[in-house]
Amino acid sequence: MLTPAIIGQILVNGASLSAIYVLIALGFTLLFGIMRVVNFAHGAFAMLGGYALYYLYGSLGLPYVLAVPAAAGIVAAAGLALEVLVFRWFYNRLMPGMIGSLGVNLALVFSAVLIWDVYERSIPPAFVDIVRLGGVLLPLDRLVVTGIAAFVLLLFWLLMTRTRQGLAMRAAAQDVEIAEAQGIDTIRIYRLAFFIAVFMAALAGGLYAQTYSLSPFMGERPLLVAFIVVILGGMGSIPGAALGGIILGFVESILSTLYGAATSSFVSFGAVILLLVLRPWGLLGTPDTMRA
Amino acid sequence: MNGTTRRRLLLATGGAVLTAPAIAQSGGELKIGGIGSLSGGGTAWGLALQRGVTLLVDEINAQGGLKVGSRTHRLRFVMLDDQYTAAGGRTAAERLINLEKVHFVIGPIGSPAVLGAISATTPAKVICLHQGFASAILKNDAGAPYNFRIICSTVEFGPAMVDWLHTNLPQVKKVALVAPNDATGQFVVPTLASAYKAKGMGTWTEMFDRGLQEFTPLLTRMMAQGVDLLDLNSNSPGDSVLLVKQARQIGFRGTIWQVGGPAVEEIRVNAGPLAEGFMSWEVFDFTSPAGQAFATAYRARWPGIVNAHAPVWYNAAEMLFEAIRRAGTASDTDQVRAALEGLDGYETKLFGRVAWGGMANYGVRHQLALPFWIAEIKGGEAGIRTMIRPAVP
Repeated sequence: MLTPAIIGQILVNGASLSAIYVLIALGFTLLFGIMRVVNFAHGAFAMLGGYALYYLYGSLGLPYVLAVPAAAGIVAAAGLALEVLVFRWFYNRLMPGMIGSLGVNLALVFSAVLIWDVYERSIPPAFVDIVRLGGVLLPLDRLVVTGIAAFVLLLFWLLMTRTRQGLAMRAAAQDVEIAEAQGIDTIRIYRLAFFIAVFMAALAGGLYAQTYSLSPFMGERPLLVAFIVVILGGMGSIPGAALGGIILGFVESILSTLYGAATSSFVSFGAVILLLVLRPWGLLGTPDTMRA
Repeated sequence: MNGTTRRRLLLATGGAVLTAPAIAQSGGELKIGGIGSLSGGGTAWGLALQRGVTLLVDEINAQGGLKVGSRTHRLRFVMLDDQYTAAGGRTAAERLINLEKVHFVIGPIGSPAVLGAISATTPAKVICLHQGFASAILKNDAGAPYNFRIICSTVEFGPAMVDWLHTNLPQVKKVALVAPNDATGQFVVPTLASAYKAKGMGTWTEMFDRGLQEFTPLLTRMMAQGVDLLDLNSNSPGDSVLLVKQARQIGFRGTIWQVGGPAVEEIRVNAGPLAEGFMSWEVFDFTSPAGQAFATAYRARWPGIVNAHAPVWYNAAEMLFEAIRRAGTASDTDQVRAALEGLDGYETKLFGRVAWGGMANYGVRHQLALPFWIAEIKGGEAGIRTMIRPAVP
């Protein structure tokens, strides 16, 4: 069964899955890492990103390279209203934040039901070609998603490690009072982090909806994936989100192909449970984040 | 909808099912319950139910209401979401029975939801017209006294389709059956596997948990088995679209068809060029004059895709209302059940004469014998390849 073509296809599938998972998890882990908010509305922001891309690219016909960031930007800008009205009151308050974001999630999902109906839609593919490398087939749209994920991850890393804003975010994450004493405007920094987190969720949601399908309920799966990836990698850890996404993507690809989807789900969730018992802060997280 | 078509549809409704004379006494509101999936992968089917029944209810109300004996009732359709689950089906049925006080439920679709719903409707003597394919729904200790399957199940159309496949595509030697790991999949897959084996074809099966969206690993595994045909069988429209897209994207060149569903329009629209050559069980012929009139009436209300289950639910509602009218009661479900069972030969607007069967397979004549069609997507358009009238003993 394991011909070189099948092995190649498993690796390609794994890379493509990992890219989507990393994209989904980045915004989720950022919000937790900086503001200690477990954002249950993450999937809803992803869903809104899907609808924004549906209109900008699918209906208005904006060029794809513009439509993808513009769709995420529109959702992130609109999300700032929710930051002021809801999320701001729950920063560094873990349990109330979970309940508050759960409420936001329900409100957004069922508003979408009222506006767009429950019907599944399809965002037209930007790339339909399939590249053949030896015996391995690479759908071009998946390659593009993988490229976008790698690019965004790099930008994200540069932002957090090479800019004053990134430094300020990390300082606020470590100790908000000391950060303020050093002259950091934490309200502005939190708003920036929130904008970036929602931008990432909406960007991932747009690409996810284009790869799979778009409906008001499409955010459930991305939220679940974000949880698994972030728990694997470590809550709040950006390298952890990348590692978690890559591990989950490749494990799913290998196990699903060799042993079936049920085995893959069993092992993936089993590994997460085991990790929560043995190392609850995840592979690249720190015990501090759990105490917080 | 043009004026002539609308007039024809309204006149047909008024003539065949009910006429509300001006002097009829008002019987108040008659609530009809509806259960279907309005979220998740089965949403298209739930909407088809909701809209198919709503079309008929609105037509009847526009004519003045449903005349039952000396009274005329204004109809109200109360639709609840079952989330395509057994628990959702049961909860929705209990709410309809206990809070809305309905005596008649149309839906659900899908065995888990139907099994959940009838566990509440049967003890309450509420008539349930459903599309649950598991044999146990009709063949059970209670004798399925109040539930009726309003479309042929895999037991009826599966062997007939496999027979057609064997004749028309003799090159197919091995079939992949990919199905959800729930009551529907667990019933449908062995039924179809037996039908394929009876025709000398090998099978490879894989079950997955509902909610999965990334099928490429599973499909890569399938391709390694050297199958000639992928049968989407009982997959929901949402999952079927993803399976077709992803199978073609990883290079599967064999035939893809669906002995179940159907979701031909959803697949044609959402999978685009990747849907070319796809074939499917189809439950209604939209190219017929009645089909075109229905599609026009539907699109006048709801733009977009018309799922083929919508006319099937419309047909079920038409039969239910005719049975209520014949029984002369909107509350005695035993009398309505007897009238419903006696509808053999009744001329419906969309499917012509109807008949009940099922005694041989289920021990009860609550299986509606409707014809079915095989649809094919060719040149980006869905067309009908043939019509088959299966035996329903």
